[in-house]
Amino acid sequence: MIQKMKAFLLSPWFQLALSVIFVTTAEVFLKRGAVEAPRLSEELNWTGVSGLASANVWYGILFVLASFVSWLYVLRFIPLTIAFPLSNFVHVLIPLSSWVFLNEFISIQRWCGIALVLCGVLIVAKPVARMEENL
Amino acid sequence: MTPISALLIFVALILFIVGQLLLKHAMENGLGSARFAKFFGGGLAAMTVSFFITLGLLQHFDLSYLYPFQGLSVVIISLLAAAILREKLTPRLFLGAALISVGVIVVSLS
Repeated sequence: MIQKMKAFLLSPWFQLALSVIFVTTAEVFLKRGAVEAPRLSEELNWTGVSGLASANVWYGILFVLASFVSWLYVLRFIPLTIAFPLSNFVHVLIPLSSWVFLNEFISIQRWCGIALVLCGVLIVAKPVARMEENL
Repeated sequence: MTPISALLIFVALILFIVGQLLLKHAMENGLGSARFAKFFGGGLAAMTVSFFITLGLLQHFDLSYLYPFQGLSVVIISLLAAAILREKLTPRLFLGAALISVGVIVVSLS
């Protein structure tokens, strides 16, 4: 049981999924943090440093670091020609979570772009899934 | 767009791509080895510089203007991983990467 659990957690495919979820979570926290951050004078504001006053920004930073660690683990095992296109699933997840958690509006054209990204990810993922089944 | 901002957009994109390739190559070596340290350091440096150039560009341009260039990275990284890292790039993988690039560009133009 524990062996199986460990094998699952250490699977590069699980880590890739984690990395994508971590990036998405980070973006939602960072957006929330950026909005509530105090506004500094114009010259300083562009750097975003004032965001560090918000706890949400720090949660976001933690998730960014976590996603980087999982991504490095992924790179050890999966070729870049497969891992990098699959990691672009964030372009589907981030708009969806902006819609669900941040109440942002998504236009028709944007939905179309999201659908194209999804098609691309599925095209890359399908032969990989078949390959894994045979193992 | 001035020649300088065009150059900066180009440099940020190239550094991001080079960073990914270096990190990938680093992770293929033993974690403690000197080769790992060299490539990992290089990759991290390239990603960091790319990040700050992009941050600077965001001061002057809309995210939706800069994002399509980021979208191109998928196709370019796939091609370079095949050419430099000798990874297998099937027509199917290339088609998937191309669709993702187009999708990202469509999202950012909307």
